[in-house]
Amino acid sequence: MPPDPMMNFLARCLRPLACLAVIAGALAAPAEPARQILVRAALSDDAAQQRELITSLTGRADAALVALLEAWRTDALFRYAPAEGTALVVQLTGPKDDEGRQAAVRIDTGAALVDAAGQPLKLAAGDLKAVEHTTSLRRAMKAVADLADLADPDPARRFKAVQTIGQAQDAAKLAPLQARLEVETDAGVRRVLREAIALVQLKDPQDATRIAALGTLKELHTLASTDFIKRALKEAEEARNQPVLTAAREALRAVENHRSFVDFFGTLFRGVSLGSILLVAALGLAITFGLMRVINMAHGEMIAVGAYTTYLVQNVFGTGITLPFFGLSLGLPGLDLTGGAYQTYFLFALPCSFLAAALVGIGLERSVIRFLYRRPLESLLATWGVSLVLQQAFRLMFGANNVQVSSPVYLSGNWTVNDIIFGWNRVFVVGFAILIVFGMWLVLTKTPLGLLIRASMQNRTMASCMGVRTERVNMLTFGLGSGLAGLAGAFLSQIGNVGPSLGQGYIIDSFMVVVVGGVGSIGGTILSAFGIGGIDQVLQQYLPVVAPGLGWVPGIGGFLQNLAQDAAVFGKILVLAGIILFLQWRPAGLFVTRSRSLED
Amino acid sequence: MTGASQASPRRSRIELTVVAIIAVILIVVLPVLNAQGAISNFTLGLWGKYLCYALLAISVDLLWGYTGLLSLGQALFFTLGGYMHGMYLMRMIGELGQYKKPIPDFLVFLGWERLPAFWEPFSSFSFAVVMVFLVPGLLAYVFGYLAFRSRIKGVYFSILTQALTYAASIMFFRNNLLMGGNNGFTDFKFILGHSLAEPATMRGLYIATAIAVVLAFLFCRWLSRTKFGLVQQAIRDGENRVLFSGYATMHFKLFVFVVAALIAAVGGALYTPQVGIINPGEMQADKSLEAVVWVAVGGRGTLLGPILGAVSINALKSWATRAYPDLWLVILGGLFVLVVLFLPGGLVSIPARLKALWGKVRRSPEKPAAAASDTQPASAKT
Repeated sequence: MPPDPMMNFLARCLRPLACLAVIAGALAAPAEPARQILVRAALSDDAAQQRELITSLTGRADAALVALLEAWRTDALFRYAPAEGTALVVQLTGPKDDEGRQAAVRIDTGAALVDAAGQPLKLAAGDLKAVEHTTSLRRAMKAVADLADLADPDPARRFKAVQTIGQAQDAAKLAPLQARLEVETDAGVRRVLREAIALVQLKDPQDATRIAALGTLKELHTLASTDFIKRALKEAEEARNQPVLTAAREALRAVENHRSFVDFFGTLFRGVSLGSILLVAALGLAITFGLMRVINMAHGEMIAVGAYTTYLVQNVFGTGITLPFFGLSLGLPGLDLTGGAYQTYFLFALPCSFLAAALVGIGLERSVIRFLYRRPLESLLATWGVSLVLQQAFRLMFGANNVQVSSPVYLSGNWTVNDIIFGWNRVFVVGFAILIVFGMWLVLTKTPLGLLIRASMQNRTMASCMGVRTERVNMLTFGLGSGLAGLAGAFLSQIGNVGPSLGQGYIIDSFMVVVVGGVGSIGGTILSAFGIGGIDQVLQQYLPVVAPGLGWVPGIGGFLQNLAQDAAVFGKILVLAGIILFLQWRPAGLFVTRSRSLED
Repeated sequence: MTGASQASPRRSRIELTVVAIIAVILIVVLPVLNAQGAISNFTLGLWGKYLCYALLAISVDLLWGYTGLLSLGQALFFTLGGYMHGMYLMRMIGELGQYKKPIPDFLVFLGWERLPAFWEPFSSFSFAVVMVFLVPGLLAYVFGYLAFRSRIKGVYFSILTQALTYAASIMFFRNNLLMGGNNGFTDFKFILGHSLAEPATMRGLYIATAIAVVLAFLFCRWLSRTKFGLVQQAIRDGENRVLFSGYATMHFKLFVFVVAALIAAVGGALYTPQVGIINPGEMQADKSLEAVVWVAVGGRGTLLGPILGAVSINALKSWATRAYPDLWLVILGGLFVLVVLFLPGGLVSIPARLKALWGKVRRSPEKPAAAASDTQPASAKT
């Protein structure tokens, strides 16, 4: 009959407690500073006592002490015997004078060494004897130094230290880990401490301990422990150790369950954030293409205008910028802001991007598009021409390479909730998409301009007869759509690269989103953006899982296996193929705007 | 649009004579001059390239000018044809590649020891020729069937063909497709046993291209005069009426779409050995749009227009990319906007417009010239 695991576990927990009690007792009244213990060890002649003293520093060492231990190891600690009084341990610092002497620091107090008169004493390294150290002592010192971070005041550093120790699975570190667990208050560090202890215990020769450890790991089900559990599982299989095998299987199942949970929600979040990006990029198009039926191939360049405006605003808040402008040179002075004031540049960049893109859009509408309202195919071609010109203009003004747009601090960084990573910029894009949709809904349904826009788009002739200046409404609508594209550009500058061909990357996706959603339906655009984004991410996540099983397909099996290694590209192709098939089923998209006209 | 189909017999005779003269110049005179040394090999190669592009332009015009389908996927079919022929040419390199292995260099680079199975049959020229037609034709058939069945038309058709091209190009950019990835195919050595370094081989390829262009022209001319061609043009002008008259427009459109894909594929297949490289850059959506520019500038819905446009714009490009490398895209884009806005009939409509203008000047101003009315930009009134 195996020993009761519970009892065993308790015994394991109690042992370090007892150990701690001894140390605590020794230090209780008044706790001897770590430095003085070190000095006592250095002055001791008994190797065993030296080791004991050094080991007693375990868990109490801070960065300064680690530096002292390092000094000892590298023969930089010296024994100094003054004429009268006890021997001291000193370290030499500062520049050497002509006779090779340096200022000395007493290790026990950390103060400068002074003579009887209170004058600083200078010593030469050659006259002193370095404190000796043996191999076993060095090992003890290293163990102490390794554990020094366990007592670091910063929880993040403690977390990392514990993680490293746990993954090394060194049985010698078990006691300090357990000692730390007793005093640790930070919940995250406690959790990782328990994981580390369990990981170390996986190496324990006793079955009961291993089973208990696996139980802990099952309870914690951290992703980092997967490989260790797998190894334990394999060992148990080889040793035909049924109880351990069962425990390991259960632990592994718990971890795998957790992994699929994390994968699922991670995919969901990435899908939503990609959907938001698509939505933000396509929303402007939903107005110009959806409502006005203008095929604006320069929509992508409107996005780029927004992104470059963000870049300009950033530079104006910084050190200024000089742009070559068709032979002339256009200088923008900088405000030379730093810190928090500089970080706010992004908030100013948003309206600027909107206005810049809206102005370019209005210019485009006035100069080209207004002649082509009745010829959609020609408007496609002409705006493509415009997009070429704009791309080249970006290249001439900003250079062919990507420009640097820095993320403000409040957009970089991420939250990790339950192993699922939420990047702040992604969360922000989701929030922004919601905000912008809401704003657009407000403009279209609650403002006089929105009323005029809807009237002109539904029946231009009738609106015109009622006295609506449709020409002006067209101009403003196009400006609004372009402005939204510019706003999208400001946001996309936080996520991807800003270069002359930025817009090309989004134009096809944007059109797909609008076509699938149903031209003229803003709701459809929203739904299709999230649908396409979600499906794309699901494919990217699960294609590498499914693809290796596609070998059976006759003829092209190996080919499919090969392609699925590029899950991102293959997923995108599948999405496009899916869209073509989807349009078989619903040729007019998700939401059809019904009309009595045959040609619609 | 100026319909060539209703032209008088006399006009038709004049037109044929002009075409015959141009054909003789392209097929006979230029190669002879090259053989004599009056035209450099480089110039002849350039003309070969222009004529390949002319085939692409003809295919765009057949769809856009005659059927009203603006396809932004013609560069895809062009490139597919080029790739299929390229596979044969890659096999013909034999062991003369950098790695001195019996399989193409990029496969050696990817760690392949043996030729992948689907590369095997491309050692045969006739198989490659069949594939030049089969692969683009089949793709056009399947895509066209799906698109026309669900009555996708107008700009939706354009956007979908663009998406198709985009999907194909990102696929061809991957090494895992085993089609050369980024770099595509290059470094060709032999075609049908003739060295591609020989001027005589290049001349032969040029003559084949010129003949292909003339044949494609004659085919389109013939097609546009048949009943089929008339229905085709009727679909362009009012598809619903044709549909309600009892014609299954889908079959007409599908046929034209496949034929246009085949013409483009032939262009691509001839392009590969003459230019010496084929890569996925050729199949990006931009290239399709560029081909549309040639047609628009030359004159859509006419037979000579696309050829004229392809040759003139590419000649302009050859010159401008050397003289003003920074401004080429601005010139192309600007030219496009101007043509769409102010010259919807393209270059070939200039004589008619001048004539109309002359007529206007000569006659009293009360009688507006009828010929000019259909080439005016549509009213901006909305």
